[in-house]
Parts: sequence; structure tokens; C-alpha cells
Amino acid sequence: MTVTLEGKAIVLSGTCGVEEAEDLVGLLEGHPGLPVDIGAAGTIHTALWQALMTFKPRLIGTPASSHGADILLTAVRASLERR
Amino acid sequence: MDELITQFASEARELVQQASDDLLFLERSPAGRERLESAFRAIHTLKGSVALFDFGPMQEVLHRAEDLLSQARAGKIPVDGELVDPLLAVIAWVDDSIDGIKLTQRLPEAQARQAPRLLRLLSADRTQPQVDTPDSDVVALDPDWAAALRQRAVTSGDGEALVAIRYEPHPECFFSGDDPLATILRLPDIRHLAVFQRETAPSPESYDPFRCNLVIEALSAGPLGAVEAIFRLIPDQVKLAPLGPKSGGAGRAVTGEIAAARQDSTMRVNTARIDRLLEIAGELITAKNGLAPLADDARMSGDGALAKRIAMSHDEIERLVSSLYGAVTQARLIPLEQTFRRFPRLVRDTASKLGKSVDLIIEGETVEADREIVEDLYEPLLHLMRNGIDHGIEAEADRVRQSKPARGRIMLRARQRGDRIEIELSDDGRGMDPQRVRETAIAQGLLSESRAAALSEREILQLAFASGVSTASAVTDVSGRGVGLDAVQRAVQALRGTLDLRSTAGQGTSFVLTLPVSFSMTQLMVVEVNGERYGIPMSDIVEIHKLDASAIQPIRASRAFVLRNRTIPLMHLADLLRIKVPAPEHGEIKVLLMRAAGDLIGIAIDTIAERTQTLTRPLAGLLNGIPGIAGTTLTGDGKVLLVLDMEELLQ
Repeated sequence: MTVTLEGKAIVLSGTCGVEEAEDLVGLLEGHPGLPVDIGAAGTIHTALWQALMTFKPRLIGTPASSHGADILLTAVRASLERR
Repeated sequence: MDELITQFASEARELVQQASDDLLFLERSPAGRERLESAFRAIHTLKGSVALFDFGPMQEVLHRAEDLLSQARAGKIPVDGELVDPLLAVIAWVDDSIDGIKLTQRLPEAQARQAPRLLRLLSADRTQPQVDTPDSDVVALDPDWAAALRQRAVTSGDGEALVAIRYEPHPECFFSGDDPLATILRLPDIRHLAVFQRETAPSPESYDPFRCNLVIEALSAGPLGAVEAIFRLIPDQVKLAPLGPKSGGAGRAVTGEIAAARQDSTMRVNTARIDRLLEIAGELITAKNGLAPLADDARMSGDGALAKRIAMSHDEIERLVSSLYGAVTQARLIPLEQTFRRFPRLVRDTASKLGKSVDLIIEGETVEADREIVEDLYEPLLHLMRNGIDHGIEAEADRVRQSKPARGRIMLRARQRGDRIEIELSDDGRGMDPQRVRETAIAQGLLSESRAAALSEREILQLAFASGVSTASAVTDVSGRGVGLDAVQRAVQALRGTLDLRSTAGQGTSFVLTLPVSFSMTQLMVVEVNGERYGIPMSDIVEIHKLDASAIQPIRASRAFVLRNRTIPLMHLADLLRIKVPAPEHGEIKVLLMRAAGDLIGIAIDTIAERTQTLTRPLAGLLNGIPGIAGTTLTGDGKVLLVLDMEELLQ
């Protein structure tokens, strides 16, 4: 499981592939208002980024290991702010 | 190998056409930057395709042509006749080569010999002192989205070249294993990245996690080649625009050609597949027709409720089948443009060979018709157009003497009228003199003086295509038209169209072609004669009659019968078709009552097989031109049925 519910946050960890998208959407729908912690995530598939952009939860952390994650996160945050 | 050549030939034809359209446009409006870019792209792509094969000097010729265009793009040489003429010569040369290449898979000898001449034409040095292009022009060339992106660039300096990228992943791309954001992160030297959802972003309630709904924009400072390489598998989802430095230097801003060439939401489908669909739709109609008697049977056996349900199903299926039929028919429709666009170059060439200057004006090229009709229109229109330029349009000096504009004018106009299209081809040349046509027709013994006097001027003009070749050439030469108008008329009639001619001496000639949009459904009665089956359009049949053999009266060599106090001549279909002398009739005879030249006539047949609704297509190839046959249709069991043209048969 790379998409899990841990206490007060939904946590993405390791490599989050396209098959996790459904789980993530389920959690986002079931727990509106919970932040999503992406600090432990490696690579995050576009399908998951897109889910985050749609449900607009608060994002915590920066994926440490993945290449270009900072640029991507900036772009996604900008998109979230545009609403 | 064969398949590759076929693909090359069809692509090359499109590219040649595109380049030719663009160049002709540029000749009239040299400022059309977009068309210059488009012509460049076409030649460039063509050169790329040619590189896959060994077509000798073609590669070099196209390379020089591309060079010329690229100099024009950079503003180093002006866009004028001196640029367009040699390029059009190259295009015509490539066009002429394609057929030979298809046959022999090499550049034909005749074309190979012309290559040195073309290379000389192309290499005439026209470079002028560098023209300074204002900066604003360079910026204006960026596509809108790219220009907006440029503003967002986080650059170390304005003098840097960037590539703007707009990536709209396909909605189903996740299923193909794509990870668009991961792809975009592979870009070299990303200077800007923006991700947003398309305007139609779904609400969280109806969210489909596996449907991609994103648009990604980015700026890269890496080389264009590296950027293209990243998207090489998904060129249709990506637009690239190299952005020149913000100030100074040579600006280049081409919309990425990989994207530009594929923006259409169209796909190529083999016409045989569409025709197969059309056949199946036709067969469905036949199958559906079987439901009506089924409902009758149910009613007869006393099950009214079942009969009603069958009738309802019948109606529903009928509705669906007819919309299926409509949709498939539509799929065969293509715009007339596909034929019309071949004419501008042709008019230009023909006119310049004859030392005349002629403008061609085309209107209504977006009107659509069945593919077969659009393609088959080329020959007759070509013929009429050549005649118009050759014999209709006067020499420049003559025109000026008559206070006409020095340049001749040919109009090609199309419009849709209900389920028919009307195409008018007119010139402002010398026109035809009905009086002279009349005199020649009498001299040729085509009609008597008294009959000629009774005909209106318009009717007289129709004589130009009334007769056989030998007389037609005499009649039409006087009126200033070449031979072969009768051939044009036959071609139009084969498409079930009509051709009308109007002309005013001194003012010009106009031909009006009226054609069906598509080959539509007709109700047919299938009859049997001597064991052979034929289709007769229901619209030709007035009534069906059963006649006792004893009621037939011989009148000299022919026969007749009396119906409601009228004597009606009787003929056997087998006699008309000259298939075999029918056996002497006895017992009951089935007779189709038809109208021929205003009079009723009875046509005896052996059996009436069935009624059917089908698509009749005109005869093609060897069968073309057999009198009395309107076309063919496929029956439900896959057999070909000849459909009779009763009017022609009875003549």
C-alpha cells in the first residue's frame, strides 16, 4: 500500500503508480478536509496529481527523492490556487 | 516495399497539392506568412519522405526548393513570381513523377532528365542585401499560446532561445501507459511549467480517476531536437514552438510541424470498408422488409397483440436502419474542394501555354457530395475548363478592343439545392452565336429548317452536345468550342446529372451541372424473365395488371390489349432486352403498365419476385454505357442485380 490513511492525513509513500488513483480518490471522497502528505512519496503518477488537483486537499511536504518534483509541485500548487 | 510506396504516393499527392495551393495563394498575396510557412512545411515533409527511397535527383531538387523557401521565410528574398514560378515547376514535376514511381518504384527516366533544368532554375542567386525585419514582426509570428508562455519564462537573459510546449494528453492516455507529467519532467532545462485542467473539468462527484483531463504548458531552454525526441511517440498531442530570442538575432517561430500536420480530427478509412457498411445497411433494409408480412401472418392467425408488437418493432428498426443508412451515406461525402483544388494550377498552366491570362474564381468548394461523384466530376469539368480557356476566352488584345478587362475570368461555383448540387462553370469569353449554330445544324442535316425555326435560342445551343462526334465537331467548331461536349454530357449523365448550356455571344458561356448529392435509395420491383432477375424502379411503374393470354390481340407485327376501353401496346421484356424469344404465352400473363413518351405501354414479364429498397449505383468500367441499364445494386443474398432504365429501353 502506497496510499494509506494514517491518523489525521492521507499519506503517499514510495512509488505511487496509476493503479493507486482509485484508492486515493476513495480516500479523498471519504475524508474531505484531510490533508495529503506527499513528503514520503517517490514518484507520483499523473493520475494521482490530477486527483489532487480535482479534490484540492491541503498538501504537506515535498517528495524528496523524485527528480523535478519541486517544479511539479510549484505548478500543481499554482493550479490549486487558481481554483 | 509496395505498401511503403503506396503510402508515399498518397502522402506525396496531398503534400504536392498543399504546396501548390499555398504557392498560388502567395503569388496573389505575397504577404501571406502562414501560407509561406505551410508551403515550407509541405516541401520539407515531402523531402523527408523522399529520403526514405532512392529517387535519384529528387532529393536534391526538393532540398534546393526548401532552401529557397527558407530564404524567403527569413526575408532574404522577396516572395514574388520569381520565387513562385520555379517552385511550381518543381511541384508539377514531382506530381508528374508520382504515377511512374508507383509503377516502377523509381524516378521515371523522363523526369530524371528534367532534374538538371530544375536545379538551374532553383539555384539562380537572388539573395539581396539583408532586409532588417522589425522585432515586432518576429514576435507576431509566435502562435498566441506560445507568445503568452514566453512572458512567463524565467530566463537568465532575454537573448536566449526557448522551445514552448503545449501538451494536451489524450483522455485515455493512462491506459496506454502514459504518465504525462513524468514525460514533461524529462524535458531538458525546464524554465517554466504550468498544469491545469481543461475547462470541462469534472466535479469531484463524477470524477473518473483514469481519464486524463490535463493541459500542460512548459518552456524548455534545451535544443529543439531534444524536445522533439521526448514527444516523438505522441506528436498529435503536443504543439511545439521554437521561440527566438526576445530581441535581436534571426527570429524563427514555426509551429511544430509534427503537430501542425496532424491537427485534423480525421482518419483515413479505406472506402471499401465504408462501402461494405453501406451494403450491410442496404441488406438490413431488405431484412427489415421481411417483418411486415410477419405482422400480417400474426394478424391472420388471430393474434392481434403479437401483430401489433411486430409492427412496432418494424417501425423502430425502420427508423434505426434509415438513420444508420443516413450516417453511412454521410461518411462517403467529401467536399467538392478535393476536385476543385486541382484546377487553379491547371488553369494557370493552360492559360500560360496559350499566352492568355485568366483568373479562376472558386466558390462553394465546401459543398459536399458522394466521393464517387466528386472524383468523377474532375474529367468533365477539366474538359469544359480547357475548352473555356482555349476557345472561350479571347486573346488579350481582342478583349481590350471589346472594352473587356484584359484578364479573362472563369468562375467555378457550387451550391447545394435540396438533395442536389449545382455547379456552374462560366467564362466571360466570346460566347456562342445561336444563329451560327442553327445554320450549321441545318447544313449538317441535323434538323430541318422549319424545325430549327421553331426552336428557341437556348434549345438551339443544346445542339452543341446533341449529336455524335462527327457532326458535333462541325457544329461546335463554328461556335468556338472544341469537340467532345457530347462526351462531357455522357459523363454527367452517368452520374445521374444534367448538363445545361447557356451562352450569350460576346459575353461568355456558362455550363450548369446538376448532380445528386449521393446515390440515394430507390424502391425497386424485382422481376424475372427467362429465369433472369432485373430490378425496375417502382417510380416507373404505373400499375400492375394480370392479363389472360386470350385477351391479347395481334395488331400487324405487334400485340396489344384493351384496358378500361383503351388499346395498349404490349411488349415482352425479354424482347426488349433481346435475351431470348419468350415461349408463346398461355394462361395468365403479368403485365407492368408503364408510361413511355406520354403513352401507356404494357410490359409482359414472367414473374414478379419481390419489392425491395436498395441503393442503385451507376455502372462503372466495361459496363458503362450499355443502353437500358441504369446501374447495379446488391441484393440481400449478395448477388448483383441489374437495374433497368425503362425509358431508354423503350426508345
